[in-house]
Amino acid sequence: MQTENSKADLDKQDQEILALLKDYPKPQASAAYFDQALVRATHEGSRRQRNHWLMTGFGSAIAAGLALWLIGGFFLTPPDLPLVDPSIPGITMTLEEPRTINLVFASAEALDAATLTVRLPPGIEMSGFPGQREVTWETSLKTGKNLLPLKLIATSPVGGEIFATLKHDDRGRTFRLRVDIS
Amino acid sequence: MSSVHHQQTFEKLVRPHFDRLYRLAWRLTGQKAEAEDLFQELLIKAYGKLDQLVKIDAPGPWLSRVMYNLFIDERRRFARRRMQTVEESEMSGDGLAGLPGIENPARDYERQEQLVKLDAALSKLSDEHRLIVLLHDNEGYKLTEIQELTGVPVGTIKSRLHRARARLREMLVASGTFS
Repeated sequence: MQTENSKADLDKQDQEILALLKDYPKPQASAAYFDQALVRATHEGSRRQRNHWLMTGFGSAIAAGLALWLIGGFFLTPPDLPLVDPSIPGITMTLEEPRTINLVFASAEALDAATLTVRLPPGIEMSGFPGQREVTWETSLKTGKNLLPLKLIATSPVGGEIFATLKHDDRGRTFRLRVDIS
Repeated sequence: MSSVHHQQTFEKLVRPHFDRLYRLAWRLTGQKAEAEDLFQELLIKAYGKLDQLVKIDAPGPWLSRVMYNLFIDERRRFARRRMQTVEESEMSGDGLAGLPGIENPARDYERQEQLVKLDAALSKLSDEHRLIVLLHDNEGYKLTEIQELTGVPVGTIKSRLHRARARLREMLVASGTFS
């Protein structure tokens, strides 16, 4: 009897979960966004095809020249973060609750092969990199604002500072973010 | 074929699938900015393969597979992860934030609370489990469609789906959502 009741409870819960999942909001984009994406795709697609032929014809000399020009134009401004402290921006996280923070880097020029290193304090982990205190990867920046979403989880109530260092060639900047745990 | 004709042909083939593809991008990435980036990359890639696209009977599944492969490639190449250019207005977060409906005042408050807890529970599932449970139980994909998309055998998908639901149930019961 106990087993039958437990099974009935499980079935009921399964049905409730399925109903809840069906009700989970579905992402939607506006018609204007789709229109823009279509225009960008056809323009970018054509441009890439043209560039393919251009690069095939003239080889790496053009690429080298372009890279030098980009390095000359390298300029970065700090990421936009919520200011809690006048000197160091900060956020508050809840223990064991994942949160995505968006670092926004403004770049005056498009930039390829920049290196971004994120250093985490003990007790803050990045999604996909459990236990790692430092994660480095190569990235590229477009002209204008560049968004880097970092999904973090606090595994201890201590908090600390996150350092994000962006480097290109011999230039670099480090940004700090204070994390408090509630 | 003229450039304008190319563009019109392309639009006619892909536009009917926009909503589904956009949602797939969200389900894969879990982030608005990344979803939009993936969606855009798909369109650019598909436009470059227009000659191939016009010969395909069912562009929808083909486009979904291309998107999935783009996503997997990008994940594998995390070491050269790309940032996204965004407008300030597009910077709403991930998960439930930014999704339509969650702040609808007409929505029953208790249901909204349950959805927030479901969102938290989903975020604790592995990427594979979360994707399968959302595609099957939220988006209504058939098991065979998930197989075509991911290349994972139906038996494995079934087992992952079962485990994902069981884990969700565990977490939702623990959080008091269900008694």
